[in-house]
Amino acid sequence: MEKKYFTRMGDGSMVYMTEEEIKADIQLGMEDAILRGKVDPLTEEETQKLYDIVTMSGIIVGVEPGMQVVSSNDSGSDKISTKCGIPVTRDVNAMIHERVLGADSVDIGNSDYNYKTVKGIAKREATILKQALRNTTMPLFYGAMPNLGFYTKPDGPVENWAVLLPEGRIKEALQAQEDAVVHAVNDITYVAKQMADVGADGFQLDTSGAAGDADFLAALLACEKITKNNPELKVEIGAAGEFVLGMHGKLKYDDQIIAGLYPHKQVKLVEKAGASIFGAVVNTNCNMSFPWNIARVITFIKACTDVAQIPVHANAGMGVNGIPMCENLPSDVSSRADKALIEIGKVDGL
Amino acid sequence: MSKEKVLETAKTAIIEADEDMAMEALHAAEAEGVELFELLSDGYSAGMKVLGDQFGMGEIFLPELIFATEVMKMATAEIESRLDMSEIKAKGTLVIGTVEGDVHDIGKGIVASLVKTNGVDVIDLGREVPAQNFIDAVKEHKAEFLGSSALLTTTMTVQKEIEQLLEDEGMKDSVQTMIGGAPVTQRWADRIGADKYCEDASDTVNFIMDWIEKL
Amino acid sequence: MGGARTAGDMVMRLQLDKKMKINEAKAYVAEKLGVTLEELVDVVTMSELREDLGIGLAHVEPCAEANMGMEAKFKIAEILDIKINSVEKFKKRAGIK
Repeated sequence: MEKKYFTRMGDGSMVYMTEEEIKADIQLGMEDAILRGKVDPLTEEETQKLYDIVTMSGIIVGVEPGMQVVSSNDSGSDKISTKCGIPVTRDVNAMIHERVLGADSVDIGNSDYNYKTVKGIAKREATILKQALRNTTMPLFYGAMPNLGFYTKPDGPVENWAVLLPEGRIKEALQAQEDAVVHAVNDITYVAKQMADVGADGFQLDTSGAAGDADFLAALLACEKITKNNPELKVEIGAAGEFVLGMHGKLKYDDQIIAGLYPHKQVKLVEKAGASIFGAVVNTNCNMSFPWNIARVITFIKACTDVAQIPVHANAGMGVNGIPMCENLPSDVSSRADKALIEIGKVDGL
Repeated sequence: MSKEKVLETAKTAIIEADEDMAMEALHAAEAEGVELFELLSDGYSAGMKVLGDQFGMGEIFLPELIFATEVMKMATAEIESRLDMSEIKAKGTLVIGTVEGDVHDIGKGIVASLVKTNGVDVIDLGREVPAQNFIDAVKEHKAEFLGSSALLTTTMTVQKEIEQLLEDEGMKDSVQTMIGGAPVTQRWADRIGADKYCEDASDTVNFIMDWIEKL
Repeated sequence: MGGARTAGDMVMRLQLDKKMKINEAKAYVAEKLGVTLEELVDVVTMSELREDLGIGLAHVEPCAEANMGMEAKFKIAEILDIKINSVEKFKKRAGIK
């Protein structure tokens, strides 16, 4: 009977596949990325290496010596409380990340993780960050999402374009998004200033583009302002998915239409906006195998790191970049995703 | 104009959101004796399918999809005005919403738009919708389809609640339930007894249209 | 990379401050600390070196003799020849020139 290798599906469920099946899925995953992103394929050597990583023995695998990378976070210091239900303050969480978990950096973030909410409590949030900065050695970020959806009625000041568009009220829908960008940039830059004033090292614009191209534009414009007004505060822009969803479709940054951009083009705009780090994201498809997902991910990510002038940190969290979409992550495929991202995808951090 | 050319023109008219071209295809179909049902399904609707796929690839954007939808609506209305409507199968009604506690309604909005473009009535309940409201809306509108979206692992449990309520009310066999959202999977659908996990808007449309074919 | 157990925190600083890619950032930090790239990620070598230089540790026992937090960052800024925002703000508020 032909040997079958243990791996998982994108939702984390266990599956056994033959060499032929794994190689076929790697090929198909790569082809999907090539088709969508118009990027180059992996070389034969890289494809073979990816197969070796998927099938190598051991529960947890690690990178080759010398290939260790650093890590940044999104809402990291809050997760011990929110995800594990352990009521620990965020400054203590940051110390736990530094002295127990060996983290290279972490961000302080509010559990209602968006800049619109944070604006009203920005100075209080800054106080927590200030306390944490006194007690930690590693770089600390403040982090949240631009989350343009929060600016629509009934939660915010502008009309909801998700309602207007299906009604055919296109002009109003586009205007609503443009108005939301202005509100978001104001809120984000206000929060950034409070964090810069207490000594933050970094500022995380997480899941940028979650509400579409206007959301991504808000992150770029805010980054541009922050790096100009508070150059001591360094910005990381993390993406929301492998392409920027075109909810508007005509918004441009640096003469480039933002909608539809894949990571290798997203990173160029992020660089132009003045960010220090780009957090690249490729979504995990729950219904496809890990070999399919990771091949697709690495094809996109390698195309991104090939052209990036700034460090690229691949988001290695639940449901993205080959990591399964499940709350309790299996270390077997998660560690394989990390190894592939670093050794073949050439990322500068996770 | 050959039949193939007529269908191709109808398809292109939708892809390019060109009303004049859509009417040209309709007139040509009448002149050539092409069945109008065929024109709708293999011409105009085929164009919508292409656009749906392009949207999923990030090649076109929502406003362009909406422009095309307007042309599709116009073409459908023209065809309906020329046909005995009793011949046309009712395409059904979808009740859709983002579940209680969850404000993420972008994906749900896209699904609603795309389903609507395929001639299905859509009752969009918006976001933060309690489970009972889905059930009430299905009853009120006699809907055949119920779609719920959850973007958080903390809110996807409402989808389970919906299935339970349908069971309690004896409505399980009369409505097809579809669930979606980033943390949602086919395994979750199987666990809670939903009929289908829909990965994206195209997947939802395909499921609904396939089911309608069976009716 | 191990954070304060090795030199991950400092490599991260170079990525942020000078937008250096991973290998360049590691080489920069290794040179400033006078260690090889292999030593830079070795927890035993780096714990001793960090203790000697007073640049913060993961295990800070005995606490009185170990630098951590702000005092460690003062030293890191000097050794890496970079400005650290929290250190600059601290100096300003404390009236330190």
